[in-house]
Amino acid sequence: MNLERVPNEEKLNLCRKYYLGGFAFLPFLWLVNVVWFFREAFVKPPYTEQQHIKTYVKRSALGLLLWVAALTTWITIFQHFRAQWGEVADYLSFTIPLGIP
Amino acid sequence: MNVGIWASRLKSGQPSLLLTCLHICPLPGVGCSSVQQKIYVQLNKTFPCVRLLNATHQIGCQSSVSGDTGVLHVLETETDLDWVLSSGPNPPYVVLMVAEHFNSTMMKLKGSARVAGVAVVISKAGPAQGFSPHHSCPNQNSGVYSDSYGPELAGCNVTVWNPLGNSLSYEDFRFPIFSLHEGEEADVIRKCFLDHNRGVNGSDPAYPLCAMQLASHMYAVKDTATCMRRNDIQSRFSISPEFVCDALADYNVWSSLKPLNNSGKGHLDGESVVIAATRLDSRSFFWNEAPGGESAVGGFVTLLAAAQALRAVVEDHPPSQNILFTFFQGETFDYIGSSRMVYDMENGKFVIDLDNIHSLVEIGQVALHRNGQLWLHSDPVSRRNSSVRMAEPDVSQPLPPSSFQRFLRARPIPGVVLTDHMSAFSNRYYESLYDDAEYLNVSYPSGLSPEEQLEYVTDTAKTLAEVATLVARSLYKQAGGLDDHLSSINADPKIVTQMLYGFLVQSNNSWFRSLVSPDIVKNLGPQPPQYYVGVPTSGDPVKMPTWLVQYVLANFTGTLRNLTQTQCKNPEDLEGESKDLYSYFWVQGPVPPNSTQGEGYCVRAPVRLVKAHSPAFELHQYSSRDYSTWTESRWKQIQARIFLVASRDLEMLTLGVGVAVLLVSLVVTYFINSKADLLFSSSRETTSTAY
Repeated sequence: MNLERVPNEEKLNLCRKYYLGGFAFLPFLWLVNVVWFFREAFVKPPYTEQQHIKTYVKRSALGLLLWVAALTTWITIFQHFRAQWGEVADYLSFTIPLGIP
Repeated sequence: MNVGIWASRLKSGQPSLLLTCLHICPLPGVGCSSVQQKIYVQLNKTFPCVRLLNATHQIGCQSSVSGDTGVLHVLETETDLDWVLSSGPNPPYVVLMVAEHFNSTMMKLKGSARVAGVAVVISKAGPAQGFSPHHSCPNQNSGVYSDSYGPELAGCNVTVWNPLGNSLSYEDFRFPIFSLHEGEEADVIRKCFLDHNRGVNGSDPAYPLCAMQLASHMYAVKDTATCMRRNDIQSRFSISPEFVCDALADYNVWSSLKPLNNSGKGHLDGESVVIAATRLDSRSFFWNEAPGGESAVGGFVTLLAAAQALRAVVEDHPPSQNILFTFFQGETFDYIGSSRMVYDMENGKFVIDLDNIHSLVEIGQVALHRNGQLWLHSDPVSRRNSSVRMAEPDVSQPLPPSSFQRFLRARPIPGVVLTDHMSAFSNRYYESLYDDAEYLNVSYPSGLSPEEQLEYVTDTAKTLAEVATLVARSLYKQAGGLDDHLSSINADPKIVTQMLYGFLVQSNNSWFRSLVSPDIVKNLGPQPPQYYVGVPTSGDPVKMPTWLVQYVLANFTGTLRNLTQTQCKNPEDLEGESKDLYSYFWVQGPVPPNSTQGEGYCVRAPVRLVKAHSPAFELHQYSSRDYSTWTESRWKQIQARIFLVASRDLEMLTLGVGVAVLLVSLVVTYFINSKADLLFSSSRETTSTAY
């Protein structure tokens, strides 16, 4: 969708929808929000709705950062300790690698 | 990566490997046109070492998913070992050694990171000093001697039963180990090594070098509890479950002198039984290779011959008690078969109960006895507690590893174990690849046809027949038979020699073919059967040795019935036939001189198969200390091949050149694209659609 031809209220609406949607455990919506509306929020000359769009983009970026940090931490811990945790790790795993502990 | 092979081969001009490849190529008329066939030489007649797990450990070998590759090195002397472990310039190495070195070098290679795999060339005869990869104290923790029962006798404190045992089969190797026999493939490998892997005049060998890749990736890890848990998770949560291991299991064969009603389970009132037991299985370091001559075949052939000898008196002068012949499978792995039978008896799932057992006679390893000397072992702890005063033997020795120990764990049953060794085993190749026909002196004069070999009575057969006569007479006497009839009980050496031929040399012989059903005849191969207990598969639910023992026992203890094939399958409604008392087998019968197939006969015999599956798996106690918990890992592909490898530098150079060509082509394309109107402006441009 080309944002050039979309009226400003629609842009604000879209941005808000993606921002709210990301709270449903969907950090990719926040990522899309940040990437898509970055130019609108920070590069374009100011217009009325831009302030709100800026807020949404900033908050989406913050949420995204938190998710990335949390996921990276959990993935690192799990990959490191999966072999040692034995039974618990087997029940947490989706696929268990064959032939290694 | 073998990308540089062609370049290096053209450079150094190596026709020898190509010619060898053509020789092994499956389509000699068409020629080796496939690229893969030009590079790799498959080794087909190899036996891998696989991973087995129990309650606490994993043993055996493991390779990486697509196989471990290493530069080939042939081990002939101790300096070669040094080359592999420290001084060779191209690690990792795959070591090719002859079996003589297997004993002394494996532990040194085990810890090294420079070893990618080992290939062992097995010769016909074993090392003269003996070789046993098994424990020196077999089945130490699953017998009867423990801290609560004869603690001074436990753990081989008094007698080390297998002094030559080095426990190699029970080590955990992180690289694959394969074995191959002397022959064409071993020669190809040695030639490849001699042509490429030896430096000229003492310098380091130059690339390309001959390498071997061994692939035997095992799925299971850690121990039985882990792999059974993973099996469980797969079966519950996965759409197409992929199991990682299977329990070692097969079937025990049992028969009785007087038929027992199989529909009644548990205690049988008024029945007193003498059990004659022996084992059916063996193992070696490698998977599914277990010739089991002295450790298994000698014992069960003796018991089969004794069963046949007792036939003479069972009709007219049956003994007052019944005799139960039992052949246990899986005894090598912590007594799978006998522990299951004792468990079934304790829980009322077998035709008789432990209280029905009067005594037990077990045939251990009997085939190597010198000067006709046999020994009877009994349990010193029971002797202490018994009310009957007996002459004490000089040495208070525990029972050797035997199925009788599992019965003693449950009840103090009187019993003896018959062996050819007084203390340590006479078998110098216990549970190894060399415990075969040659070791037992089952050899035939040259020039005999297979049929003549089948009939030829070897000395081993004669001695085993004497042992069988002794066993049969003792069983008869023990079961309350009268002394007058003892002289008519004689084991026939001709039958013993036929059995030894079939079980140790060639199972596809005319006698076996006449005894078994037509389905089994198809599966009789040219090799002797291997006595590894293995895992039941859908295509192979009962192992061949179990089938053969069942049919031979049916032939010896059963009678011919005049029934058609359909009647033989369902004899329920016929008079005089009872499926509760007997089993009915449709066998092929002897082949008449003018045709290729036997007519088929119905044999009725009181022979049955019962599951030999460890109780630990029934009870879901996968870390059990009481029962056998042995499982075998699953795998997808096992293969071995040799090929030439290029140096790492050449590989990196080829990759670098490839990437450079890619980048250059991208740049050139970009420039051509941007200057397209200049380069391709010929006539007027036609209208092009614009996006």
